[in-house]
Amino acid sequence: MLQLLQKAGRWLFDPLRRVLDRGFGQQLNPLNFLGALSIYFFWIVTVSGIWLFIFFKTSVVGAYESVEYLTHDQWYLGGVMRSLHRYASDAAIITLVLHVLKEFLYDRHRGNRWFSWVTGVPLLWLVIPLGITGYWMVWDQLGWYVALTSAELLDWLPIFSDSMARNFLSADVLSDRFFTLMAFVHLIGLPLFLVFGIWLHVLRINGPRINPPRVLMAGSLIAMTVLSLVYPALSQGDVDMTTVPSSLGLDWYYLLVYPLMKYWSPGWVWGLLTGTSLLLCMVPWMPPMKGKSCAEVDLDNCNGCARCADDCPFGAITMEPRSDGKAYETEAVVDPGLCMTCGICTGSCPTATPFRRHTALSPGIDSPDLTAALLRKKLLEAVEHLEGNHRIIVFTCRDNARSSRLKSNPKNSQTAIVDIICAGQLPPSFIDFVLSRDLADGVVLAGCPGGDCQYRFGAEWTSERIARQRDPQLRKRVDNSRIALGWQEPWSVCGDLPKIVTALRESLPAVAEAMHGPPPGRKNPWKIPVTAFAYIAFAAIVGYLSVWPRFQLVDEGKAMISLSFSHAGQRIRECRKLTQEELNKLPPNMRKPDDCPRERLPIRVVFSANGETLYEAIRMPTGLWKDGSSNVYRRLTVEGGNQHLFIGMNESGESPDFDFALEQEVDLAPGKHLVVEFDDIQQSFVFKEE
Amino acid sequence: MTLLEWKPAYSLGIPSVDHEHQELIGMINEVYEHMAEASDPVAIESCLEDIYAGVASHFALEERHMREAKYEEYDAHKDQHEDLLDEIRDMMDEFAGDPQSGRETLKKSLADWFGIHFATFDARLHHSLGDHP
Repeated sequence: MLQLLQKAGRWLFDPLRRVLDRGFGQQLNPLNFLGALSIYFFWIVTVSGIWLFIFFKTSVVGAYESVEYLTHDQWYLGGVMRSLHRYASDAAIITLVLHVLKEFLYDRHRGNRWFSWVTGVPLLWLVIPLGITGYWMVWDQLGWYVALTSAELLDWLPIFSDSMARNFLSADVLSDRFFTLMAFVHLIGLPLFLVFGIWLHVLRINGPRINPPRVLMAGSLIAMTVLSLVYPALSQGDVDMTTVPSSLGLDWYYLLVYPLMKYWSPGWVWGLLTGTSLLLCMVPWMPPMKGKSCAEVDLDNCNGCARCADDCPFGAITMEPRSDGKAYETEAVVDPGLCMTCGICTGSCPTATPFRRHTALSPGIDSPDLTAALLRKKLLEAVEHLEGNHRIIVFTCRDNARSSRLKSNPKNSQTAIVDIICAGQLPPSFIDFVLSRDLADGVVLAGCPGGDCQYRFGAEWTSERIARQRDPQLRKRVDNSRIALGWQEPWSVCGDLPKIVTALRESLPAVAEAMHGPPPGRKNPWKIPVTAFAYIAFAAIVGYLSVWPRFQLVDEGKAMISLSFSHAGQRIRECRKLTQEELNKLPPNMRKPDDCPRERLPIRVVFSANGETLYEAIRMPTGLWKDGSSNVYRRLTVEGGNQHLFIGMNESGESPDFDFALEQEVDLAPGKHLVVEFDDIQQSFVFKEE
Repeated sequence: MTLLEWKPAYSLGIPSVDHEHQELIGMINEVYEHMAEASDPVAIESCLEDIYAGVASHFALEERHMREAKYEEYDAHKDQHEDLLDEIRDMMDEFAGDPQSGRETLKKSLADWFGIHFATFDARLHHSLGDHP
């Protein structure tokens, strides 16, 4: 089931990846840097945010005005910064979603990688509120809607005794202090946790990609800046609490679930959010489970050179004091809780040379899934049927093998295929072995499609080893024109594996012919059109979903009524005067003349419009001792026009009579917002229209 | 006939590196013994291949120590290592192709090859790392 989902997803994802490979090249494909790009967008947001905060006024009136000033009077800088702030945070959501999706589709969340997957989930819970509080602070119509809906969501949680949403129903209640709180949460609280969370997220990874390549940084910054200039982020009108913000440009990246509040109760929304998160957390342990194996160290062949520890992409290898009494200082120790059994350690081990034909080929560290000795055996078997002088041997990693079309080709006398776990598993001396022993005329190393190594650094380390920039280096005596690394220019321009094999074969120096350059030195005609299109499409998607499609809080022709008050019900029984005798029994400091029970009765509230009951509820008193007031909060939608409104409240819960009531004819124009309050001083209901 | 002999002066003061130097000397002497006895080329080839693996991992360890000690001539020493490994591979291939002439080459260069490395590069390293007998 899950596998089917992954397969279907890859079927959609692969073409996108291939197209971007064409344009950006495999080394710079933005899909290989989704996590890093998200962090980079976070930096853009941080820098632009600092600029905005310099001018931001943390007050009810000041908030909106200061943002307007930035947007219009200082459009060339403040306005651009504001737009960048919004669009970079929107872009981060796109890259984050793609990041999560990709790791899932390509099965990079399982096994010992669960830690990074699971620690990623709380990051989403930090990023989304970060965006929400940002929209809140602008305090335009959208900000009001965000505040109101967020408060309604939070009120559902049994942590506040008073209704928080009530603060956002009429202007006279809202205080400046509130904006200071928001500024703290948005500027310090959430970002602090986010930075800590990112640290935790990459903690277990060796050499995490924190920064994307510079070209991508520059490209995306330019794309976001152009979008900011062409389509600047704007506020959506000053808050007028007497009018419903009918048509809102919602930022769907952050406020995706908010419209659900129009139809669902907050409990369901919370259920959806927590349910999805829990499901995400559980995904790494869902079947099919893989057999767990782990790289093994052979101390007889390990002298503690630490190359494997340097190269392990998962930080699974540490160098520990020698345990076997040999004259070496350290030995490699594998943590089974971190090892992904990719074999990249074998690729780095100097003793993993296939030339050891007469003694056992047992490297210092080996992958039990495919040992170096077995790899050599498979290689020697594979080359047996090769003939001629254009023989190519293809080493292909499991994940490439899955998607390559080479497999389906009938066996021919010129191509042999050897499956390995990861391109990085192949020690460069194997290539030396193949070519110097004349087992083949050319070697193709096919890494993961798109050069986006399943085990993070397999392709990268191999490139460097072949280029003699990383240990173990390929011997200088080996002719590089006979080697093709499928993920590297110029071979990646050829696209898929069969084409790479053909291209290498064509470039092989035929016997007695003059050597000519190895690469099919084609120019990449796709580069400019594809990259340009990718940036434009990305900016367009970012810009579009940040306000479109628009959202109707209240449908056309309707008006909104908010019931919002709190009232203490009567005590469960009347107060009683204590007799002198009883008083005398009490300690002197506790001699209170009345004996009043703390507990109160629930209140009953009925609200109707034009005779139709829209709200009827018995509200329990708040507080652990049931001694607080009962809260009533509900947002209702009614037809615009003349309404005969009635509200009644009973303080003791049971009686059918109302202790307080108000009945009134109200002309409620469409789009109007009316608040039903209870005035504690006058002890009466109020229909508040402005 | 023992061609190479371990001398305390060769000591780098790093027990593991010294230990491997001694092991390698043993392996090289073994090749010479095989050649002196005019034994089976396969046995000699096998020894060479083991030397190759042994030298490769030995260099890897020595490089680790050099890096950790921030040895200033690291790059030159590293290049030397890579060249030496290439030379062993050349010898291996030559021997595999033509055991007779390969044997001559081996006789001439194997000991030199190791001796020169000891005398020049490792000696410099020796001074640089200091603090040993």
